[in-house]
Amino acid sequence: MSSLKLRNVTKTFGKTKVIHGIDLDVLEGEFVVFVGPSGCGKSTLLRMIAGLEDISGGELWIGGRQVNEVQAARRGVAMVFQSYALYPHLTVRQNMGFGLKVRKEKPDSIARKVDEAAMTLQLEKLLDRYPRELSGGQRQRVAIGRAIVGDPKVFLFDEPLSNLDAELRVHMRAEIASLHRRLENTMIYVTHDQIEAMTLADRIVVLRDGRIEQVGNPKELYAHPDNIFVAQFIGSPKMNICSADAFAPELTRAGIPMEGVAQIGLRPEHLRIVPDGGLIKGQVALSEYTGGGSLLHVEMEGAGRFLVLSEGQEGPQPGDEVQLDFDTANLHRFDAEGRSLQAAREPVPA
Amino acid sequence: MTGHVRTGTTAPRAPWLTLRRREMFEGWLFVSPTLIGFLIFFLGPLIAIVIYSLSEWNLLSQQMTYIGTANYQDALTQNPDFWHVIRNSVIFAAGLVPLNMTLALALALALCRPGRGVVFFRTAFFAPVVTSAVAWAIVWKFLLQGEAGAVNQMLATVGINGPNWLREPDWAMVAVIATRVLKMVGLNMILYIAALQSIPRDYEDAARLEGAGNWQIFRMVTWPLLAPSTLIIMVITTIGSFKVFDHIYLMTGGGPENGTLVLAFYIYEQAFEFFNVGYASALAMIMFAIVLVLALVQIMLRQKGSA
Repeated sequence: MSSLKLRNVTKTFGKTKVIHGIDLDVLEGEFVVFVGPSGCGKSTLLRMIAGLEDISGGELWIGGRQVNEVQAARRGVAMVFQSYALYPHLTVRQNMGFGLKVRKEKPDSIARKVDEAAMTLQLEKLLDRYPRELSGGQRQRVAIGRAIVGDPKVFLFDEPLSNLDAELRVHMRAEIASLHRRLENTMIYVTHDQIEAMTLADRIVVLRDGRIEQVGNPKELYAHPDNIFVAQFIGSPKMNICSADAFAPELTRAGIPMEGVAQIGLRPEHLRIVPDGGLIKGQVALSEYTGGGSLLHVEMEGAGRFLVLSEGQEGPQPGDEVQLDFDTANLHRFDAEGRSLQAAREPVPA
Repeated sequence: MTGHVRTGTTAPRAPWLTLRRREMFEGWLFVSPTLIGFLIFFLGPLIAIVIYSLSEWNLLSQQMTYIGTANYQDALTQNPDFWHVIRNSVIFAAGLVPLNMTLALALALALCRPGRGVVFFRTAFFAPVVTSAVAWAIVWKFLLQGEAGAVNQMLATVGINGPNWLREPDWAMVAVIATRVLKMVGLNMILYIAALQSIPRDYEDAARLEGAGNWQIFRMVTWPLLAPSTLIIMVITTIGSFKVFDHIYLMTGGGPENGTLVLAFYIYEQAFEFFNVGYASALAMIMFAIVLVLALVQIMLRQKGSA
């Protein structure tokens, strides 16, 4: 059953259109991540779902009810903000019970629900503290707790981990994933970090300039990007893209159909350094040691610079000539508009 | 490789002008203009006033005699005018401070977000703050004239027979408070706008998502977050209301029947009309103490409220 449905949803600020007809179905209990670069409209779209921004056109359905004209508080959604938005003059308990108090619930009911949420998030010992007395991770948990207390149909997360340090971000990411497994609510999560998107999502929605570029599960997006933008946005380090002309003879000799191919793409982790017999070759310009191996910047003749992941401690050094090989199944071919020319494929299981 | 140990040599002496000393010297150099100004124009006169307040010094006779606390005793126990003046000052402050702050907050709430005409209205409400006090008073004296005044003529159109605002003791105080509020409300409005704009929008969004209406958002989120700014605004408005002089001087001259004679104007009268500088200095010290106590009480109440 569809928990949330967007039909040709648009948003206009003055004369500027920032969301261009979004169509999307989110299933009950699904964890969907909106990902895209800064300014792509992902937070605006989330705020439109929350009811904090008007919808200029199209339809928004939540739980089988069209909610375009329904107030934010009556949509059955809760949101965790990037800044956490914890009221600094209220304790953790008061912050978590704020919505229930506003809705005039009885004090004992508020206390019970806050205690339950606090137990879920292991916040029991922090209930009488003020936000200023909490660490970043604890504040994050309180913000999630405040969302849980209202028992919403849909949770919305607006870049909730971006204010945390790298280590805590990994920890909180795991906590959010585990929370989703326990609560089984629909969750929509906005981030610009593709690693966060890949690790958390059942499905990822890649956005650019207010349009959906591709929707799919993480493996599908990684293995079969619809276009160069998605190909380069998903995966780290990003996919190498170059003109097909640079290696057309070699690739044709290898039996790869090159008709209509304008650009090709290869992920750094799919390129192997071989002693000889490689399909393509280049010269190492820079080697960045990463611990487990090195990230090589290889200058390819007529194809610009490629990134290559080299495993092991003794990799090639700057100035070395290297030959590169790859499994032709991992070659991505794009037409002149940047659209993928991959053969029709079966959906990749999540 | 072997290390070498030097013997028989002394470590070079540290220069007198160490980094710490140089930074300290530069620091004092930077604050010195303000510090010198403070000493000459604030601390010096303050000390002089304390000395004058303990003396009998008539400007005409140019004789200064030490009389201890007699000026203070006279003001506090023997001079009925003093308590009348204090009463007027308290009425003026009690009328002006809440009216000014309420109006300023209402205007700030209406004008804190970008919108059509917002800049015009902000400018319009702030313009009186930078308008000459003399021009403001002349215009309002004209508008508040008895039957011929524009205010009364407007009231007459709705059947109200307005009083002679600046000639009747009770109404004169109302008139000076109202015109002072209109002149100065723009300043507090700007302070409140700055405070409102510093409150992250996420708080309001979060409250709205949780079902709070505009009034609940104001009462439960905005107002508590404005508390530090409100305290500052209240303290400076209260101090300003006790120090008001030019407005009274220009609008009513303390009249009618001393109905608007407030402390700062009374001090001026004592010093420059009756030339009792010693007595005026004692009154000034009392005013200083009153304002200090009021500010401290407000700060203590705020701290108690936030504890």
